[in-house]
Amino acid sequence: MTASPENSGIESPESMQKLPLGVRLIPFFDRYGILIVIVAMGAVMWALQPDVFLSWRNITNIFKQTAANGMLSIGMFVVILTAGIDLSVGSVLALGMMTLAVSNAAGVPWPVALALSPMMGLAAGFVNGIGITKLRMPHPFIMTLGMLFMARGLANLISGGVPYSGLPDPIRFLGSARIYLGEFDGTRINLPVVFLFTILVYFLFWILLEHTVFGRRVYAIGGNPEAARVSGINVDRTLIIVYAICGFMAGIAGLIMAGRTNSGFPNAGTGMELEAIAAVIIGGASFFGGRGQVLGIFGGVLIMGLIKNGLNLNNVSTFWQQILIGAIIVLAVFIDVLRRDLGTRH
Amino acid sequence: MHKLILAAAAGIIGAVATAASAQTILVSMKGPGAGNPFWAAVERGATEKAAEMGVDVVVLSPPTESDVPAQIAQVEDQLAKGVDGIVIAPTDPNALAPVIDEAIADGVSVVFIDTKGANEGVTYIGTDNQMGASLAAKHICENVEEGADVAILQGIVTQSTGKARADGSHEGLSACGLNIVAEQTGEWDRAKGLAVMENIITGNPNLKGVFASNDNMGLGAIEALKNADMLDQVFLVGFDANPDAAESVLAGEMAATVAQNPYNMGAFGIESVLTLISGGSLDPVIDTGTVLVTMENAEDFN
Repeated sequence: MTASPENSGIESPESMQKLPLGVRLIPFFDRYGILIVIVAMGAVMWALQPDVFLSWRNITNIFKQTAANGMLSIGMFVVILTAGIDLSVGSVLALGMMTLAVSNAAGVPWPVALALSPMMGLAAGFVNGIGITKLRMPHPFIMTLGMLFMARGLANLISGGVPYSGLPDPIRFLGSARIYLGEFDGTRINLPVVFLFTILVYFLFWILLEHTVFGRRVYAIGGNPEAARVSGINVDRTLIIVYAICGFMAGIAGLIMAGRTNSGFPNAGTGMELEAIAAVIIGGASFFGGRGQVLGIFGGVLIMGLIKNGLNLNNVSTFWQQILIGAIIVLAVFIDVLRRDLGTRH
Repeated sequence: MHKLILAAAAGIIGAVATAASAQTILVSMKGPGAGNPFWAAVERGATEKAAEMGVDVVVLSPPTESDVPAQIAQVEDQLAKGVDGIVIAPTDPNALAPVIDEAIADGVSVVFIDTKGANEGVTYIGTDNQMGASLAAKHICENVEEGADVAILQGIVTQSTGKARADGSHEGLSACGLNIVAEQTGEWDRAKGLAVMENIITGNPNLKGVFASNDNMGLGAIEALKNADMLDQVFLVGFDANPDAAESVLAGEMAATVAQNPYNMGAFGIESVLTLISGGSLDPVIDTGTVLVTMENAEDFN
C-alpha cells in the first residue's frame, strides 16, 4: 500500500542508512504495525478459545458486529484527515435509520425508504460542511456538536421516540442477508453480504483518498490549510464535500443497523461517534490531520471488534472492554508521540 | 510497543478465561449487576439456581442499558461459542428480535425476563407491572382525601414496562376518584424526575399525591418537593424498592414503594429455560410477584 506524498514525510533511503534502527523502522510500523497487532491479538484469542475463535461463525460475527462502526469510522477518517472532527455521526445514523423505518411504516416504496437513510446522512453532512465553512464556525467541534443534538432531536421528532420494527427484505439485505456458500464439515457456511460490502467500501475509499486528486487535496488541507489555499485548492468546497461524505457514510451505517436489527430504535448510534473516533486513532491517523491510511483505519475498526469479541467469548464484563479500549487509545497516541520524537530528535 | 497491548490483553483475558463444561445457560441482562442492585439480584438468583440445578451459567450485559448493539453482539458471540439456553432481558425488544430468532433456529431454548421481547411464542418471566402500579395507586387512594390533585411520573412509555406502570397507575388513581393533574415522563432518570416534578408543582400547588414509575424518578421528585417545602403535604409512592428508596421510606420521606422480585426473575429464568431444554412447556407469562414496601417492611430492602 503506497502512502501518498504528503503523509510519508521520511527521508530518502540513503540518508536513512545513518539513522538509528528505531527511526528506520518507523515507516515499516506505520504501514504494517497494525496488521502485526491484529495477527497477534488473533493468536492470543485463538489460544484462549481454540474451538470458537477461528470458527467461520465467529469470524463472520466479528464483521457483522463491526460493519456499522466501520462505515462511521471511514467517514470520520476523511474528516480527521482535514484536522476536523464530526461528533454528529451517531445521531445522524439514528436520523437515517428512523427516517427509513418511519417512511417504510408509512407505506413509502422500499427503494425510496432505503435511499432515504444515506440521503438524510448526506444532507446532515452537507449542513455540517456549510456551517463550518460558510458560517465560519470557529471549530468543526461546534458545528457537529450542534448537529449531534439536532439530528437526535429530529430522529425522535419524526418517530415520536417510538421504535418501528418490521422491514422488508430488500431493505434488510445489506445489514442481514447471507450468501450460502455450501456445507463444509457438516456446518453451513454463509457469507454475510455486509462483509463483502465493507471490503468494497474500504477499497473505494483507498482509491479515493490515496489515488485521486481529491484525496491529495484532503491530505494537503490537513497538513497545512494555508499552504493548500495558496496552492490553489478550494478549501471550502473540499471541506463541504468531506463532511458530506462523512454524513453519507453515517446514513449507510444507519441502513446497515436497520437491516441488522429489523427495526429503527430511538437509542441507535448513541455514543458511536466516540467509537468511530477511537477506531480512527487506534488505526494510526493523526488528530492534527494530514496523516493516516485507509488500511490502518480498517485495522483500527477490526481491533475494536476483536477486543469486544474476545472478551465476550471469555465471558468478561463489558467494563473491561471499556477500560481496554480506553487504554489502547492512549497507547496508540503515545506511540505516535514517540514516533514524532524519534523523527525530529536527530 | 505493540507487545504491550498484547500483554495487557492476554493478561486480562487469561485471568478470567474459564473452562467450558456440560450444559451452559447464557443470562443476558440489560445492565451490569455492579452498581445496580436490581441486576445484581437477578444475577444472584440465576447463579444460585444454576448451582442448585448443576448447570453452568454465563452472565453478561452491555455497559449501559442503551447500548443495544453490544447486547446483540454478546448473544451472537455466545451462540458461536455454543450455549444450550438463553435467559434474556432485551434492551430493545424489536432490535434483539432477529438474533433471538437466530438462536431459536439453532435449537437454543429462550425465555425473556424483566422485559417482554418481540418474538412470538417466547415465555416472559417478570413483574406484572400493571398489577404493581395498581397496588401503588390503591395505597395512594387510601391515604389522600377523595378528589385531591395527584400526578404520575411516567417512565419511557414506548417500552412495555413504562406503559404498563403508566396504565396501571392511571386506572387505579382515576377509579378511586382522584384528580390526575399531570402525567409526564421523567424517562426513568433521577435528574429528569426532579426537573419534571419542579414543573408540576409550580402549576399545581395543591398536589397531594404522586406515583413515580420508578424509585430513581421518585427520589428526584422528593428533592424537588423538599426544595419547595411541600414534602409534608405530598404522599409519594415509587416503584422498584431499591435500597435508596427503602432508606427514604424509613426516613419518612417516600411514603412507599413497590418491590419487584428480581431474584425470582433470575431463578425462575434458569428453572424455566431448563424445563424447555428437557422438552417441557411453559405458560406464556410467569409472574414473579410484587409487594408494597412501607415503613413496616422497608428494612428488608435496605
